[in-house]
Amino acid sequence: MTMQRLLTLPARAVWHALFWTFERATWQYDLMVIAILAFVWLTPPDWIGDPTASGPGLIGIVLEWFR
Amino acid sequence: MTFTGAIGAACMFPLRAIIRACVALRIHPNVLTLVGVFINFVAAWFFAQGEFVTAGFVMLVANIFDFIDGKVAEATNLASRFGGFWDSVMDRFSDLSLFIGVIYLYAQLGRTDYVMIAAFAMMFSVMTSYTRARAESMIDKCKVGFMERPERIVLVMIGAFTNRMGAVLWVILVLSIVTVLDRIYFTWRALKTQEAAS
Repeated sequence: MTMQRLLTLPARAVWHALFWTFERATWQYDLMVIAILAFVWLTPPDWIGDPTASGPGLIGIVLEWFR
Repeated sequence: MTFTGAIGAACMFPLRAIIRACVALRIHPNVLTLVGVFINFVAAWFFAQGEFVTAGFVMLVANIFDFIDGKVAEATNLASRFGGFWDSVMDRFSDLSLFIGVIYLYAQLGRTDYVMIAAFAMMFSVMTSYTRARAESMIDKCKVGFMERPERIVLVMIGAFTNRMGAVLWVILVLSIVTVLDRIYFTWRALKTQEAAS
């Protein structure tokens, strides 16, 4: 991988995540699924004002330990 | 094999048995599609009552019907162009009813902010399907963007089972907007290339 390709890697990753052309069951798809599930399960419901969720979520539990 | 691929392969085991049973019973695929829609209406009612886990289980059953109809059509040689049209139309009824259920719940709770988030998520979910259908009347294929119907359905079920519907609606909203923009850009580029070539 050339230096120029390495430097533009983050920008290309963002572009490919936004302009999505990958098939299902590829490693890129897995990565996107992990990111989405992390957001859904880890974000404390209070942060987004979820009206129906109960419990603080994983990040909320971890933050509680440090308080 | 990727982990989403492994999950898909594991889910296919029970589904194959259900498909075989439907083929043996000679159930028409269009009937399966319709039954799936009615079951989704029941799921929407449970969402409106705030009974998310029950709604999730009902959705699971509804989507078994939704998934197997095409496979049964192929296996019984009953696949038709009308069947494809019927399936697409019924899918929209299913999608919209689920969103209406969630919107009704948030309205009952007096949460205008989440009524709007769910309403915009509904709008962009419909536009995701519409942009592809309209694009493919002019260009060969427009299969870009992440948030397609299967992703949406699985996400709503995850939100229902794990009680995280707020986060799920945000994900559906943001990624549906991105998907619609992807499809508009892809179609614009493809039409420009076509025009340049002719």
